[in-house]
Amino acid sequence: MDSDRTLVSRVAEADEDAFREMYDRFADRVFRYAFTLLRHEHLSEEVAQETMVAVWRGAKRFQGRSKVSTWIFGIARNKAFDMMRREKRGDRTPDLDLVTPDPAASLLRAEAVSGAMETLPEPQREVVFLTFYEGLSYGEISGILGIPEGTVKSRMFHAKRKLAEVLA
Amino acid sequence: MTDCERIQELIPWYASGTLTEQESREVTAHLVSCEACQEELALALRLKRRVEADSQHLPRIPDAAWQRVAAEAFGRPIAKIDVGSFLLGFSFGANRKRGRIPVYGDLRVLGRKVRLFNVEREEST
Repeated sequence: MDSDRTLVSRVAEADEDAFREMYDRFADRVFRYAFTLLRHEHLSEEVAQETMVAVWRGAKRFQGRSKVSTWIFGIARNKAFDMMRREKRGDRTPDLDLVTPDPAASLLRAEAVSGAMETLPEPQREVVFLTFYEGLSYGEISGILGIPEGTVKSRMFHAKRKLAEVLA
Repeated sequence: MTDCERIQELIPWYASGTLTEQESREVTAHLVSCEACQEELALALRLKRRVEADSQHLPRIPDAAWQRVAAEAFGRPIAKIDVGSFLLGFSFGANRKRGRIPVYGDLRVLGRKVRLFNVEREEST
C-alpha cells in the first residue's frame, strides 16, 4: 500500500486511481471532522466533497512540510468555516447535484450522538476530537488550527475539567 | 508553572500516544511518584474511551458522494478508449466539465498512470 505522501505525488500527476484511493482513506475522516464542527450532516458532506476536490486540484502545491493528514484537515477546517460564514450570511449557493438527505434519518442519528462531547464549546470539542479520535499530536493540531501549542493545551485542559463532571 | 501542571498539560497526548519519546519518558518518570497526575491519566484514558465510543454513532459520508467528487474533479466522461493491458497500455478520453471538454491521454505502466497530455476545449453550443 502506498504511503500518503506517495499517493499525493501520484494525485499531483493526475492519477485518478490514486485519487480514488486517497478519497477512500480521507473522505469519511474529513466528513466526521466537519460534522464535529458543524453538527449538520448535509453541510458536512458538502465540506468533505469540496475538501477532496481541493486536494485533487492542489496536490501539485503540497510541499511535504507537514503530514498529509494535517494538510487535508487544514483544508477541511477552512472549508467548514467558510460554510459557517456562508450559512450565517444566508448566501450559500445550494449544490443542485446534491441529494437531499432524509431529514428523519439525520435527526435520529444526531440524537444518537452521545451527550458528552455536546457539552463542550466547539473550539474545545475540536481539540478533543483531533486528539482522541484522529490521534494527532498537539503540534499537528496547532498547525491545523493555526493557534499556538499553548492554546491547544489550554483548550484541552478546560475540556477535561468540563468532561470530568460528565464522566464522573 | 509547577512540574505537575506541566505534566498534566501533556497527559492527554500521553494517553493518545503522540508525545515525543523524550516527553513520554518524562511523563512516565513523573507518574511513578505522583498520585494526582495518575488520576489525571485515568481521566484522560476514560475520556479517550468515551470519544472512541461516541464516534461509533457519528454518521458516515454517503456512498454517492464519490460520484459527485469525481464529476467535479475529472468531469463527466463522454468518451474513453483503452489500448493494451495492465502492464503497458494507453488511455485516451474526453470529459464534460463545467462547459469545457478536457481531452486527455494516459500512459499506463504496471498499473501506474502517467498523464501524457490534457487539453481543455470550450464546449461548442
